[in-house]
Amino acid sequence: MLAGCGNRTAGTAAPTIGVAFETLQTEYWVASRDAIATELKKRNLSMLEAIADGDANRQFEQVRNFITRRVDGIIVVPKDAQTVVPMIREANRAGIPIVLFNRPPAKSDARSVTVVADNFSIARDTVAYLAEEALKTPGKRQAAILIGDLGDINAIARRDGFEQALKPHADRIEIVSRIPTEWNQEKALAGITNAFQAHPGIDLIFVSSDLLLPSVVSALKSRSRYFKAGEPGHVVLGGFDGDATAYRMLTEGYLDATGVQDVGFDTAATVQAVIDLKAGKPVPETVLDPGFVIHQGNLRQAAPRMWGAGIRK
Amino acid sequence: MRGLLTSRYLVAALAAACFLVFAPLIPGIATAGNLSNLLWNMLPLAVVTIGETFVLITGGIDLSVTAIIALCSVTGALVMNGRNGYLAGSAAAAPAAIFAMLLAGVLLGLVNGFAVTRLGMPPFIVTLTTMMFFGGFAVWLTRSANIDALPPAFNRLSGVGTLAVAVVVALAADWTLRRGIFGRWLYATGMNPRASLVAGVPVHAVTIAAYTVSGLLAGAASVLYTARLETGSPVLGQRIFLDVIAAAVIGGTSLFGGRGTVAGTLAGVLFVALLDNSLNLLGLSFFLVLTVKGAVILAAALLDSAARRVLGEAVE
Repeated sequence: MLAGCGNRTAGTAAPTIGVAFETLQTEYWVASRDAIATELKKRNLSMLEAIADGDANRQFEQVRNFITRRVDGIIVVPKDAQTVVPMIREANRAGIPIVLFNRPPAKSDARSVTVVADNFSIARDTVAYLAEEALKTPGKRQAAILIGDLGDINAIARRDGFEQALKPHADRIEIVSRIPTEWNQEKALAGITNAFQAHPGIDLIFVSSDLLLPSVVSALKSRSRYFKAGEPGHVVLGGFDGDATAYRMLTEGYLDATGVQDVGFDTAATVQAVIDLKAGKPVPETVLDPGFVIHQGNLRQAAPRMWGAGIRK
Repeated sequence: MRGLLTSRYLVAALAAACFLVFAPLIPGIATAGNLSNLLWNMLPLAVVTIGETFVLITGGIDLSVTAIIALCSVTGALVMNGRNGYLAGSAAAAPAAIFAMLLAGVLLGLVNGFAVTRLGMPPFIVTLTTMMFFGGFAVWLTRSANIDALPPAFNRLSGVGTLAVAVVVALAADWTLRRGIFGRWLYATGMNPRASLVAGVPVHAVTIAAYTVSGLLAGAASVLYTARLETGSPVLGQRIFLDVIAAAVIGGTSLFGGRGTVAGTLAGVLFVALLDNSLNLLGLSFFLVLTVKGAVILAAALLDSAARRVLGEAVE
């Protein structure tokens, strides 16, 4: 229970936490929103939610509404690192603890706590597994990455993890295409199609979010190169997030590995951080979710921790 | 019924009714803090919607206002940001950036106006195209990255400066529409452009001017939004178009042209901001909020059609 909560929202007995999501347009955000709601309920905290529909200004207004309502804590999934800074300042001025979920803010004097997956390490370990698989057969390999929005610090960390993992294999794996997608499936499809046109020999692909896997599958199918791991002509394929599509592709054998953000860990750590901040306890500025890599070799053991496996119908 | 449908106070009454319905359900909605919040939320939206109202009165539509907001935002940020802005560190950075943002808005509005009048293309197609072009150009300029480190002098505009800008814009626009010859020409152009042309109204020039005003005010709104977020963003305002059109139409501006007032638009903006604020504070699910907003906009559009029928105007 939150300690020292003097400002109860009238009509409700439980302390209220304002939860502001940038969007609910992907499975990951919906799963995270549901997990936060469950975690808050488990701790007898009530949730006041707002979704900004991708609009940073709207999110700012929603956070200000939370502050006006005198919520006991605020959890934000920011649109980006920069526009969240004024929101944090407003919460600081009002003395309301604020925790950022999944995206850290840009450097500033504003005080907040961020719970975020270790995007660099998870991506690096995932791609290291992909490289290991690709190098099992002799000869040179051509790799491609579908990068997210370059304004998103998580996308940059995942790209850097990809580059880092392949650096030791530069003599055998050449990165021939870096495709910007802005987290957009249509752009991803156009980009990977163009990449195949320019480099028909691409045989290792890393997508910075499982959200983009359908685009890659579509491109591979159109070139008759969609094969299961172990089959001749298989393109080594990896992702990031751990959504339901990735889980299905793993179980069917088409996906080699994906880096999983541990939604259970993230949500529990986020709610705990709000509670601790409100109680005046010290909380590190960044709480890192180590995540894990799920692949064909550990699928059965790791699946129960993969959030996408939980929402698979 | 006729009196109700055509009353200029209908939207204000609806907003008041909405407030009274929500007041007992949402603790704190009537506090000074929340009311000031509500006012603060509606000001930049009011500025851009007043500009859109000018275009709608001529019977046109400007779909590109959101892209103009984004392009103006990055233009200003490129001029003044403290890292690598053209005038980084200079005392003139903030004023020069504001000038550049307003100038960019005027120029982009002119492009729309000329394309609509000189190329004879439908406003919907012209501004849909320019929306894509301006928005894409903003993303290209910044490689999709936000630009922060804006001068504190600029960011301070998000306070009282926002109120001052919105009040000046509203008063000037209201005077123009109610008292100025340009206002009369706008209504005449929207009601019947051919008859207006025959009667000596410079229809093309009036149309170009309407789009230019829309661009200028989108630029002014961009200044306010950018200062508020302390960031130049290539996707700034991308999602507010529905609110802009909703506020204008709810405020009595006709999508068929010839009708609209600044007071009505302000009431429409108040209604939209109040709806957002209330649904947010109610903690309703995102999908329900979208559904309610969609339903309200549909109701406003139906009301618009009904009012035109009552007034005996032709509904195309």
